[in-house]
Amino acid sequence: MQRTLTGADSIEMPITKKTSVDDALEYIRKNHPQLELDEGMVLVTVNQKIAPRDQVLKADDIISFLPFISGG
Amino acid sequence: MEILHQIKYKPARVAGGYTDRILRVELGSREISIEKLAPDFKDKYTGGRGYALKAIWDGTTGDTRYDSPGNILVMASGPLGNEPGFPGTGKFIVGTISPMTETFIDSNVGGHFGPLLKLAGFDALAVTGISKEEVIILIDGDAHTITIAAAPQYDKETDDGALSYGERLLKDINNGEYSDCLAAVSAGKGALHSLYGVIHSLYYDIRRHRIRAKQAGRGGTGTVMRAKGLKSIVVRSSLPKANGNNPVDKKGVRAAGRAMKQVISKADPTQLHLSAWGTTILSEYMDKFHIFPVDNYQYGQSPDSVKLFAHVFLDNYFSKRIPDGCYYGCNLACAKGAEKVALTRGPAAGRQVSIDGPEYETVGAVACMGIFDPQYVMEYNWYCDQYGIDVISTGVTIAFFMECLERGFLGADDIGYELKFGSIAAADRCLHEIAGGRGFGKVVGRGVARGKKWVAKKYAARNKATEDKVMAELDKFGMEVKGLEFSMYVTKESLAQQGGYGFALKGPQHDEAWLIFIDQVYQELPTLEDKAAALKWFPLIRTWFNATGLCKLHWIDVRNPEAAATDEPSKNLPTLAHYVDYLNATTGNHKSLQDILDDSERLYILQKLINLRQGKGTRSSDQIPLRAMAPAFFNEYQSRAEYYDLWLGQNGGAKKLPASPKQRHKMLIERRKRDYQQLCDAVYEQKGFTPEGMPRRETVAKFGLLDEEARRLLDETGA
Repeated sequence: MQRTLTGADSIEMPITKKTSVDDALEYIRKNHPQLELDEGMVLVTVNQKIAPRDQVLKADDIISFLPFISGG
Repeated sequence: MEILHQIKYKPARVAGGYTDRILRVELGSREISIEKLAPDFKDKYTGGRGYALKAIWDGTTGDTRYDSPGNILVMASGPLGNEPGFPGTGKFIVGTISPMTETFIDSNVGGHFGPLLKLAGFDALAVTGISKEEVIILIDGDAHTITIAAAPQYDKETDDGALSYGERLLKDINNGEYSDCLAAVSAGKGALHSLYGVIHSLYYDIRRHRIRAKQAGRGGTGTVMRAKGLKSIVVRSSLPKANGNNPVDKKGVRAAGRAMKQVISKADPTQLHLSAWGTTILSEYMDKFHIFPVDNYQYGQSPDSVKLFAHVFLDNYFSKRIPDGCYYGCNLACAKGAEKVALTRGPAAGRQVSIDGPEYETVGAVACMGIFDPQYVMEYNWYCDQYGIDVISTGVTIAFFMECLERGFLGADDIGYELKFGSIAAADRCLHEIAGGRGFGKVVGRGVARGKKWVAKKYAARNKATEDKVMAELDKFGMEVKGLEFSMYVTKESLAQQGGYGFALKGPQHDEAWLIFIDQVYQELPTLEDKAAALKWFPLIRTWFNATGLCKLHWIDVRNPEAAATDEPSKNLPTLAHYVDYLNATTGNHKSLQDILDDSERLYILQKLINLRQGKGTRSSDQIPLRAMAPAFFNEYQSRAEYYDLWLGQNGGAKKLPASPKQRHKMLIERRKRDYQQLCDAVYEQKGFTPEGMPRRETVAKFGLLDEEARRLLDETGA
């Protein structure tokens, strides 16, 4: 769905030494408002591991916004 | 139509979700009777799976097999089935002694059959006996008749197909017109020739103007139906569906339904968005986390998987903008379908067909055979449906034999052709052979458990090895437990889901517990105790859905935003509260969530007792293939060596990892095997079982199940 809404497989963003997961969320909300990334609706992972909102990002980290999946 | 036997009856009125009647049909003697249930029966057995379990417990023995005249084929909705004001109420279960596992199997299925059966006056239908000639059953709530009739014969192509026969019958019986007042179940020729035949639930979709199909897919329910000489069952009722349950508190039902529909309409579009993508959306996420069962579950992802992601089916096949609920009132509407798909293979090549699906499981089954062609997914979907065979067991069994060829346990001469991973031509040939009971399909149609024995015998004779030694190798990658093939998830990296499959009473189907993401991704189950507690709680709540006539997806695959603020978000408790309200408003009970869990535990223990009686109820029956817990062979280890080495460093307990990759692989396997046995101990303790996996006497007594048969069984087994 995110791919359909953004027309891209991934989005690259600039970071500083202090950029956190929360900052990344804010960046996405600002630049892609069509993506609904509300608290409680998606799960944030960094490099496929659950990430707290204050986690500081490194170069080449991959952030994913996942739906909750519990397997039908 | 040649009527063989018919009775007149007065349909019981549904009150508070129940009719308190079971329709019993004995096909051997052609007797039809209506059993009136005692008032407390529903309190103890709830409905759906509970009614099926009770029928099997009382009516069969440890010697009953799938094709015994005494085997019972039960179809039952539940007290909450049939309420368009609440989403997801079209489910019913089919329960019986399985040809695959030789113990109780049930499969839940959507559509209109369960609701219409209830409106026609029955909480459940129980079919016994074997008819000498092929028959159908007609339950006509409008005409007040129940009929056993000789199965009408059309042309061979129509008669052989599970879809085509049911479709034709539904039209014939209603003077040449489809109607949503009728629904049918049917089984096809694949159910005659394989052990994993399905039962279709066929209903008229007023939006698509055609008959649609959902499947009771697992464990060979269709094979049981055809073994009874039964081709189809049709039910009719023109009673209004709205308020059809005659709930005790109509306003309460409306309020609960409104609240649930709001959760779905708010949350689903920003989460999985099942209403647009159907369950095909799962493929991408499974691939991302190494859970997609590529090449017989060897690898969890593939660079080719993208060819099978949801957007491919949405762009090229699915009809868009059609609300696709399988019963009225469902706003999750995940039952996606495609129209006018041109078949390019098999006996129907050149035809344009409508296809219901694919679901994620069908996509996974094709990837399991190493095939990444969406057109083949569609054709595989349609042929499996038309033949009436399980997409999962078919794909997993073919994949097992593909790997046998790859690892040298079989040669092309044994099979008759090169049944290789990725070969559409070979997989397709095998599919048609299975359905027709021809060539190598006769072997594949018996499933992985029997396939392993066939290969072991052949290989041992040829190589002067013992069959036991060969079996030990095949057990590593033959993906079955208790005789049932795994559904389409790689569990190597989730100990909790290894248990979710291993302890599942029916065999490794995920509708009892699906804990992969909660465990592996969300990391909400860090300790063994957490995993064991989840392996008790989730099967119980899931059992309740199967006992009440409800679809689980609205609870489990749409996270209520309010759940984030709870201690255990994965249980989605705010949504479950709406279900409890719905139950109480319908039946007039005053149950809590804990009451519901206790009701379910009674059913769970009853199912465990049946497993024990059928020889599938001890620790040995809960053991899983090595591949379900670890990379079984070195090539699998190599494909993620860096990850596994890191895992060993964090979890292996050794100060220094062995230098050799082969030694590290061996160490990983030993560690994973040990973890699984520790999980068994913790889970049995949690469930009130002995260390041998049998229910303790006090556990059975606690739920009022210690009858004479249970005492005898526990005495015999020493539980």
